[in-house]
Amino acid sequence: MTAPVTTPAAGRAGPTGTDASPTRTRRRLQHPGAIIAFVAPFGLLFLLFYLVPIGYAVYQSLLIVEREGTFGEATEVFGGLTQYALVFQSEPFWSSVGRMLMFGVVQVPIMLGLALLFALLLDSPLLRGKKFFRLAFFVPYAVPGVIAAIMWGFLFSPNLSPFQALTREVDFLSADLVLWSIANVVTWVFVGYNMLIIYSSLLAIPADVYEAAVLDGAGQARIAWSIKIPLVRPALILTAIFSIIGTLQLLAEPQVFRSFSSAVTSTYTPNMTIYATSAIPNVNLAAAFSVVLAVATFVLSFTFLRITRRKAEA
Amino acid sequence: MRHTKRAVTAALLSTVALALVGCSAETGASDNNSASCEPADGDVTLTFTSWIPGIEDAVAIWNEQNPEIQVEVQTGPSGNAGTYQNFFNQLEAGNAPDLGQIEYDALPNFRVQDGLEDLAACADVVAAEDQFVDWTWGQVTLGTDDEVYGVPQDQGPMGLFYRSDLFEQNGIEVPATWEEYKAAAEKIRALGGYITNFSQTDINQFAGFVWQADGQWFQNDGDAWTVDLTGEESTKVADYWQELIANDLVSTYPAWTDEWNNAYNSGEVWSWNSAVWGANSIASGAPDTSGNWSVALAPQWNEGDATAGNWGGSSVAVFKGTEHLYEAAKFALWLNTSEEGLTSLNQTAQIYPATTAGLELPVLKEGVEFYGGQAIYDVFAEAATQVNPDFVWGPTMTQTYADVADGFKAAASGDGTLLDALTKGQESTISTLEAQSIPVAE
Repeated sequence: MTAPVTTPAAGRAGPTGTDASPTRTRRRLQHPGAIIAFVAPFGLLFLLFYLVPIGYAVYQSLLIVEREGTFGEATEVFGGLTQYALVFQSEPFWSSVGRMLMFGVVQVPIMLGLALLFALLLDSPLLRGKKFFRLAFFVPYAVPGVIAAIMWGFLFSPNLSPFQALTREVDFLSADLVLWSIANVVTWVFVGYNMLIIYSSLLAIPADVYEAAVLDGAGQARIAWSIKIPLVRPALILTAIFSIIGTLQLLAEPQVFRSFSSAVTSTYTPNMTIYATSAIPNVNLAAAFSVVLAVATFVLSFTFLRITRRKAEA
Repeated sequence: MRHTKRAVTAALLSTVALALVGCSAETGASDNNSASCEPADGDVTLTFTSWIPGIEDAVAIWNEQNPEIQVEVQTGPSGNAGTYQNFFNQLEAGNAPDLGQIEYDALPNFRVQDGLEDLAACADVVAAEDQFVDWTWGQVTLGTDDEVYGVPQDQGPMGLFYRSDLFEQNGIEVPATWEEYKAAAEKIRALGGYITNFSQTDINQFAGFVWQADGQWFQNDGDAWTVDLTGEESTKVADYWQELIANDLVSTYPAWTDEWNNAYNSGEVWSWNSAVWGANSIASGAPDTSGNWSVALAPQWNEGDATAGNWGGSSVAVFKGTEHLYEAAKFALWLNTSEEGLTSLNQTAQIYPATTAGLELPVLKEGVEFYGGQAIYDVFAEAATQVNPDFVWGPTMTQTYADVADGFKAAASGDGTLLDALTKGQESTISTLEAQSIPVAE
């Protein structure tokens, strides 16, 4: 649980004189006080702002409200899995989950494909102006999601867009297309972020691997395909998992698009359903929705991890 | 190592358990402490959350005159835009303000969540009933005889705002019935304009139409709620507007957007069925049309009827858990009945008072330049007397509005009808009520 953090550069041992001898791991329980002192701030915050809220949400989701008469006093009693039964009967919730799965199946590969392409281009010795492009691709991520959504909302709007010649012909905000317009916003924002993760993983590949490849007569394309992509696989898996989680938890972009498009309903994504439920307010049902969404995200992420790992081993 | 791990886990779990116990104990305690309406011994500071622009001015007058009862005002977004959600969260956490701005259509929601103090404990509040326009009092008693859950602040009797210049130039008479309104809509469409814009998102405007038609969406007999979004009158109103939408006789711009303002400012849309507070919305949204507007009483379903709907209006309520019910009620009454309070609210936010005396404020007797000098508030004062006093709101209007709006938006783009949307809203409202064990009559 309390594995010591290994600094990447061994030569960077600080002036405090911590000896970096190989026996260090054996002696780590020598300073329990220090360990607790260092871990306590994290542990406390993790407890207060992570475990307690989750525990409280689970607790809330197990309660039901009872009342007598139309304005009778409400009492919260233990209801077992009653709220979860309502969750599984909720048609809008599951259709929003389905919508997000469809969204993810299309958007995540496109986004990661672009991110990988950009990262490979940045890493290629053929490209000039790397610093500029690295920043240029990353800038959208620095734009807050809500602002990005508002900006794209105006760009897509039939009457307010600067590209009316296009937007009057193709209604990007219609029921058929709005999901992919939102996908476009999300892709625009997150390509640079994912690119940076993949790119930093590319930088970590030792130079002698390339040397060997060049000696064997491999060109840049071959190096990218046979060396770089396999070696950044962990980074790709990591970004894919982040993206799956992000997709299921989409909230800001569609919420903003509600004011541009009549096709985005109040229950368009799972998180919007949760938000709308808590506004009723029905906190118990909203808590149950949240727990189910968290479990679904967890299961999906781990299934993905399992599949990719099995493939790697095969 | 093993032991440490287990010990840490145990410690974590017990802390979580403690936190949970702490939380549940709190909710239990705050349930039944109805405050009595007695003045406090010392000085009192009240907290008040509102979204009325410039409410600080009115509060400053009060604070000046009442050094022993100081009010701290907090402003936020309008109710459904976030303040209600904050109120509910604050009530759940046990730190709600003493007073809050709550629209009539949201009062039952707060009541059903047990968030409101009954002001009937305060003799002054009960005695003030006569000062208010009848139907506004009906909105705060929630259909009971001896309970009061807020002090009415303003009201939104509906009338017809119309471009008198365009109607006159084209020889179209101001419609007195909805039948004439439809005929006028056809003439205006032939001239390239739209008689009005149907808002897909203002379900409370549609509710105002139903209210005028003498419809009822909710009934509460004390034992159970009756939900009836698709009753005879609602169906009539929905079919009427559906026909106008289907025949392209009304525009369907999203309300309160730049596109919507532009439609009025450019003269494309000629009228708006709106509440008294809409007078300022047009003036600010369509500045180029100043002097060309007039106000008439709303079109009627039957010739010779005198009915009006209502759209909006709010009250000042006192939240459960306050320690100063007496002072809070006193302030709420002053704010909404005194000439000083009402004048200040009218000056800063054009609040249209809910008291009969307030309707006689000098400022509400003057002609308004934007409306060609017409004394428009006289029209609304008449409309205020025509509002059905028995209209009842449901206990989850935020949800009902959101679900019906989803359907209305679809209908506006040709997918389904307004009546379909109401049918769906009816179903989802009932299941929302049942999910919270709120009894619904079949």
